Amino acid sequence: MKKIQAFLFSQKIAPYVFILPFIVSLSFFWIYPMYSTINMSFHNIGNGYSEYIGLANYEKLLGDKVFHIAVRNSVIYTIFTLIILIPIPMLCAFLLNSKSVVGKRIYKSIIYLPALVSVVVAGILFRYMFSEMDSGLMNQILQFFGLESKQWLKNWGTGMFALLLLATWRWTGVNTLYFEAGLSSIDEVLYESAKVDGASAWQRFWHITLPLLKPTRIYVTTISIYAGLAMFLESFMIYGSNNSPKNIGLTIVGYLYRRGIEKNDLGYASAVGLVLLIVALSISMVYLLSSGMFKKEDK
Amino acid sequence: MGANFMRLPKNVFSYFVILLMAILVVGCSNSSSGNGENAEEVESEVTTVGPEDGAKMDMWLFVDLHQKFYSEMLNKWNEANPDKQIQIKFTVYPYADMHTKLTLAVQSGEGIPDLADVEIGQFPNYLDGEVPWLALNSYVEPYKADLVTSRLDAYEKDGNYYGVPTHVGATVMYYNTEILEKYGIDYTQIKTWDDFTAAGEKLKEASNGEVYMTSVDTGGADWLTLTMSEYGESWVEDPENANVKLDSLNNMLTMQQGWLESGIAEVTPGGQIDTEQGYATVAKGEVAAFPKAIWYMSRFTDYMPEMSGKFAIAPAPVFEEGQKRSNGAGGTGTVVYKDSENAELAAEFMAWAKLTEEGGEQIWNILGFDPVNTKVWTNQDITHNQENEYVKYFVNNPFDTLLEIQDEVNLIKTVPITTTINEVFNLTTLNEVLENGADVKQALEDAQAEVDFEQE
Amino acid sequence: MSKNNTNPNNNSLSNSSLDIRKGNKGGKNPLVKTFINGFFIILCASVAVPFISGLFASFRPGQMLIRNGLNLNLDFENWSLVNYSYLFDGSTGYLDWYKNSLIITIVSVILTLIICYFVAYGFAMYHFKFKNLLFFLVIATMMVPFEILMLPLYKQMISFGLIDTYAGVILPGLVHASTIFFFRQYLSGIPKELLDAGRIDGSSEYGICVRIVMPISKPAFSAMAILSSMGAWNSMLWPLIVLRSAEKFTLPIGLNTLLTPYGNNYDVLVAGSIFSILPLFILYLIFNKYFVEGMTAGAVKG
Repeated sequence: MKKIQAFLFSQKIAPYVFILPFIVSLSFFWIYPMYSTINMSFHNIGNGYSEYIGLANYEKLLGDKVFHIAVRNSVIYTIFTLIILIPIPMLCAFLLNSKSVVGKRIYKSIIYLPALVSVVVAGILFRYMFSEMDSGLMNQILQFFGLESKQWLKNWGTGMFALLLLATWRWTGVNTLYFEAGLSSIDEVLYESAKVDGASAWQRFWHITLPLLKPTRIYVTTISIYAGLAMFLESFMIYGSNNSPKNIGLTIVGYLYRRGIEKNDLGYASAVGLVLLIVALSISMVYLLSSGMFKKEDK
Repeated sequence: MGANFMRLPKNVFSYFVILLMAILVVGCSNSSSGNGENAEEVESEVTTVGPEDGAKMDMWLFVDLHQKFYSEMLNKWNEANPDKQIQIKFTVYPYADMHTKLTLAVQSGEGIPDLADVEIGQFPNYLDGEVPWLALNSYVEPYKADLVTSRLDAYEKDGNYYGVPTHVGATVMYYNTEILEKYGIDYTQIKTWDDFTAAGEKLKEASNGEVYMTSVDTGGADWLTLTMSEYGESWVEDPENANVKLDSLNNMLTMQQGWLESGIAEVTPGGQIDTEQGYATVAKGEVAAFPKAIWYMSRFTDYMPEMSGKFAIAPAPVFEEGQKRSNGAGGTGTVVYKDSENAELAAEFMAWAKLTEEGGEQIWNILGFDPVNTKVWTNQDITHNQENEYVKYFVNNPFDTLLEIQDEVNLIKTVPITTTINEVFNLTTLNEVLENGADVKQALEDAQAEVDFEQE
Repeated sequence: MSKNNTNPNNNSLSNSSLDIRKGNKGGKNPLVKTFINGFFIILCASVAVPFISGLFASFRPGQMLIRNGLNLNLDFENWSLVNYSYLFDGSTGYLDWYKNSLIITIVSVILTLIICYFVAYGFAMYHFKFKNLLFFLVIATMMVPFEILMLPLYKQMISFGLIDTYAGVILPGLVHASTIFFFRQYLSGIPKELLDAGRIDGSSEYGICVRIVMPISKPAFSAMAILSSMGAWNSMLWPLIVLRSAEKFTLPIGLNTLLTPYGNNYDVLVAGSIFSILPLFILYLIFNKYFVEGMTAGAVKG
């Protein structure tokens, strides 16, 4: 017994013990389901039958117009969230650091609040804010400027706007906090010496802050790419269901859900899922490699 | 070991606060969770009806009101069948969730309830491959002669009936007599769609465009199935090769486009009239008429009480005289899990509950549906019962119309490809044609292309 | 470079920077001050708008939400607290949902924090065979949308007999990749000398972890406590699949059941939605300081 104990407590074996939960969880809740999904994507599955069809599902995906719409929606959504939700929070974080700010804690607390709300609640709030009735908030704003009420959730452009506004509302606070964390690790001495050298605030931002925020930027961008491509519930809640007019709100995962759960077409849905996985992984890997993430060792 | 870790008082304090809240909430919920008495809102989602020693069954539903009906019938059954007692635990889930759960259960082969209400649109999902439901032919047989058979066929596959229908769902026309009389239009004179259009013109003139004759759907296919039934066509004539390039659809959509252009009709807010926005539209007196199934009556009583005494029911107009004037719309089929412990008993009970005259009476009284057993239709005691809320609400008796169209209720069958067709039309085609004024022929071609893609 | 960061008691972002900057800004530019503060005030006001309009809507009858949409109208004549009373009168399972969410959240957060911490500790403090490969796997699992795995996972839950149990809801999410990632980043900033000192003192590896390193990881725990709680409290898709009995529903699922196209329960829906924000709100307000510190001290290093 003592020998086993000594073994387990040894410095060599201890790490394996520490990470054991991860290994167990990985095997049960990830490796097996992953394998299962991959396997299913090569089959045509219905009630009680499962026939092997090779790459047929993937071939079908290539010509599937609805899938193309879903991909387009997801990609455009992701691109826009990257455009909005990286620079603005970065700016916020930088400004928050400035001495001119009064009540920093309060600002931070407030802009973080939306992240605490469940997607169901957030979706409901935005769905009715964008109501096509004249008395909906967004239409009231339009009317204030003398414009006509819009049917926000019936057109692609305005619908995407609603989704993006929801995303911005929800994630600005979180991203700002990430950037703030990153900012704090930048040594003050650098700024100090730059000021002494006569650098303006803008120059300090561009030449010191930005480059040194790189790790944070990488992290935030990576998780944003993934979150954008995998977005489902937000659209589901804003449109009230998976079925938006002309599929303007359909995302890749939305299509997966439609095929797998709503239509009981598991093989095809699995193929959709795998395509998403491959796309997301590829983009992330490319991005991470190009920014040198894996070159660094632990400090 | 953990002493150091918990040193900070703030940590402990905050978890304590949360614990306190939790205790409060748990305390409150324990005292109130058994209390459904003062609930005028939603009934508790789980109800168990029947004696403890009865055969135990699980049933999933997606409409609260149906549970009332089943409970009523269960009590009657237990009274009349002391040797075949049944206890059912009813759980009501939201529509989409229930079907999702059922799909998952069937896919995994576990946790399937003994009984479930399946909406007609979802029904084909479960018929693909090995059907998990009990074939109900022998249980339906005793009542078959009195039933509207097209409704049985709706849930049929390979000669087996798998679902017990709830109602006929005959489509009728609802006319707001108050508005129409005000502007001098007699709805009883409207027999064809041309008549209807003419009446619409007149209405528009007289009301200065304030009232629409009707509203057209971009989010529902009821207008379309009605017109197909009228022409005797069906887009799933051949279920393996759906064809949506039909004359009926062409004519209906073109006509609707015309209405929109001349201001006789508007696009239904909410996509179709069976939505919250739809009720608001009707209640506001914004539209003077619309076609919908008989079951829409309960929407009137539930959500538009202020319209009592204003609406009349009549057969729908047709394109050419002699066409069938109605179509069975919507529907719920109750299924029995074939490997359930008491499958036969469940089937026997369900068939009795829904297909007998007695059941039909309750279907009318509690649910406001046109029962599948047509004996009820000629039973004046039931149909003209002055205490019945629907009889009171409408200007004329619903069964007058029902009896008139009794043999004209066609049914466009729901098959696996129907989901795709509905999706294509509800999401894309109808919006293109009615919101964006696209060319009808082209839109139907596009729709056909999408349907073909699914069916290749 | 990290002189500020290993001291957990240094709350404000950079005390020293304030000293440095004070002198340099020399007579704060009032224009800049107005601009910056104005910017944040407008930002905060915009963020608050949906909350406030939701709050207003919760005072009105539910039907009005559908017929009129959400807005900021101060139509006091429609206001009352009656919707909130519906939450507590047992007409819906609202309180049960609340209780269930609380239980699941608290249990899963505590367990997740401990387990993920241990796993991260293993990755951060040791070198061992396959470490990089395994850590890569950690990252890889973050990349896979849950929806892809959900059906096989569902079947597994059935075969384990965990359907319709809280265990089934909590288990798959316990070992949470991004939490591990975060802890690992944080821990990699802790000097290894600490560990060696512990070993010299005769502590076991596990003892070092718990007695020496854990106490100084409080900020990280706080940060992850909030993030984990957010995830658990708001989680919807998986509990929806696993839970069958209505009495076990969590808050998001329960609220979703009220979203019928017939809108007959929107009273509870709106009031319930607003009320469901409270626990996280409170948690956040309390932990705020530590949260910031935690995120600051270790979110992304290197």
